[in-house]
Amino acid sequence: MPLIEARGLTKKFRQAVKEPGLAGSLKHFFTRQYKDKVAVDHIDLSVEAGESVAYLGPNGAGKSTTIKMLTGILVPTSGSLIVDGLVPHEKRQQNARKMGVVFGQRTQLWWDIPVIESFNLARDMYEIPAARYKANLAEFTELLGLAEFMNIPAGKVSLGQRMRADLCMALLHEPKLLYLDEPTIGLDIAVKDSIRKFIHRLVEERGTTVMLTTHDLGDIEDICNRIVIIDSGKIIHDGGLAALKDNYARDRVIHFQLARPPASMDPICAGLPACDLHANGLSLSVRFDRFEFAAGEIAAAVMPHVEVIDFRIDEPEVEDLIRRVYLGQLSLAAPEPTADTPESAVAAEV
Amino acid sequence: MRGLNKYFSIAKASLEVIFVYRAGFAFNMIGTVFYVVAMFYLWQTIFLGKPGALGGFTWPEMKAYLIVAFILNSTMTWFDEWQMGADIREGRVATDLARPIDFQLKRFAEATGPVPFELVSALGIGAVVAVVFGGIALPADPVHLALFIVSAALATLLKFAIIYCVSMVAFWTTGMEGVSNGRMAVQNIFSGALIPLVFFPDWLRGFASVLPFQGMISTPALTYLGAMDGPTTAFMIGTQAVWVVGLMLFGRLLWRSAIKAVTINGG
Repeated sequence: MPLIEARGLTKKFRQAVKEPGLAGSLKHFFTRQYKDKVAVDHIDLSVEAGESVAYLGPNGAGKSTTIKMLTGILVPTSGSLIVDGLVPHEKRQQNARKMGVVFGQRTQLWWDIPVIESFNLARDMYEIPAARYKANLAEFTELLGLAEFMNIPAGKVSLGQRMRADLCMALLHEPKLLYLDEPTIGLDIAVKDSIRKFIHRLVEERGTTVMLTTHDLGDIEDICNRIVIIDSGKIIHDGGLAALKDNYARDRVIHFQLARPPASMDPICAGLPACDLHANGLSLSVRFDRFEFAAGEIAAAVMPHVEVIDFRIDEPEVEDLIRRVYLGQLSLAAPEPTADTPESAVAAEV
Repeated sequence: MRGLNKYFSIAKASLEVIFVYRAGFAFNMIGTVFYVVAMFYLWQTIFLGKPGALGGFTWPEMKAYLIVAFILNSTMTWFDEWQMGADIREGRVATDLARPIDFQLKRFAEATGPVPFELVSALGIGAVVAVVFGGIALPADPVHLALFIVSAALATLLKFAIIYCVSMVAFWTTGMEGVSNGRMAVQNIFSGALIPLVFFPDWLRGFASVLPFQGMISTPALTYLGAMDGPTTAFMIGTQAVWVVGLMLFGRLLWRSAIKAVTINGG
């Protein structure tokens, strides 16, 4: 049985509609108008124990709302949700005992008192046995390098230190499930790296199930074995990183460096009818579908017509791909969760 | 009791925060000292021309009333609608909800943590003021003192329950400062903090008697003075207790229905 099982999970928010200006404010004061915003729209999601899932989507796509439902903070409007045998919002406290959550934009530490006292507070809140608390604290202190600021109030440590302390606090009670909402936001590369390594280790060694929202693709490649993309409240991709690339990042570009400008493009174009060619002085680039052509075939079609000095091939980048999805330039029309045949539905509209 | 351990820890941490903001706390206290001294001079002037009792109060009793009011007003000063409203509005309650804790109990622990320290400070200041103004009436006997302590404890719980309920307004409005000031104004009048309720005209006193606020100052102060007979004292303390339980439950109910309807900002 999956650890997380969501069926048709939906959350609607009622948003106040207010016209601009004083008149609008006055009008709003007397006649409130609202409209429904569907933040999460009938999503189906199941996550097995031990998985590490990247939950991606542009701002406002419904990521945080989903996490808040999973953690029991928000009550779903409709659909069913079971996390480790419990309905989160009905058994909020029981659910909370089994999970850890880190909100990158919001600390769980007590602002005014030393970091170590927040940890002690966590010990009492989660009723962690003394020996286990001590062992975990020692391990996390070591791995996350917390010793140097343990006695400083959370409000006075740097963002990177705060994030590491927040991670520790979320994990002291050894949760089965760890939710990370943008855990590396605003951090420098060194801290990002240490946090990713730490989470990776957690998944590998403790078998913690991780669900992570992020805008940072480095997080995904280092931590996650599965990617779920949500947009406008709907899941538009669910699968591995490789599958995502195979499905939606089909284009490769091969760049040729030429000895002299081509006399005419026509014969090359004629040889590669399905490809996109760009010539600019001494360079020539060909964009092609990597499932239709091998790079060698492209080279073979180009070489007879020009003198090639050098060439290189650009692989599709996940970052670029996801950016295009967010911008709406690429529509992942994949209603089936298993869209692993290359033929299924890609419309690159650029 | 083990389940309550976590709330003790929260209360302890909350007390520590007061020491971090000791300057703010000190200024707050100094402000209330000026207030209580002003009240003393005001009432001294009123009593000056009247040799006997006024509204049933002798001058030493009135002084005792003012000191009791001062001490009760000095507790739980760090818990207000504004702070809780900000937590609700800015979605900070989300972190509370992600933990295995009861929201109301957590808030209660936070509000109660500083109380011992506030109490000690207020008792110290109160004692000095009382001595400077020539002493105050003391409780007639230990029974009245014991009843007063019960009533004062209930007054503090009542304060929490009222503020907690009023704070829930934050789910529907953003102007928490106005709400907080409004509550304070109503409370100052109907609790008897400014003027003992006995000086009110009948209709206003009748109104005050059906509100919970009298339990915050008037009931404990009158219990201290032994101004009510046995059955009345029992009835008034019972009324306090009923309000405490009722408003605590009402607060839970409000929280539960609000959270159901709520959009935690930043969703």
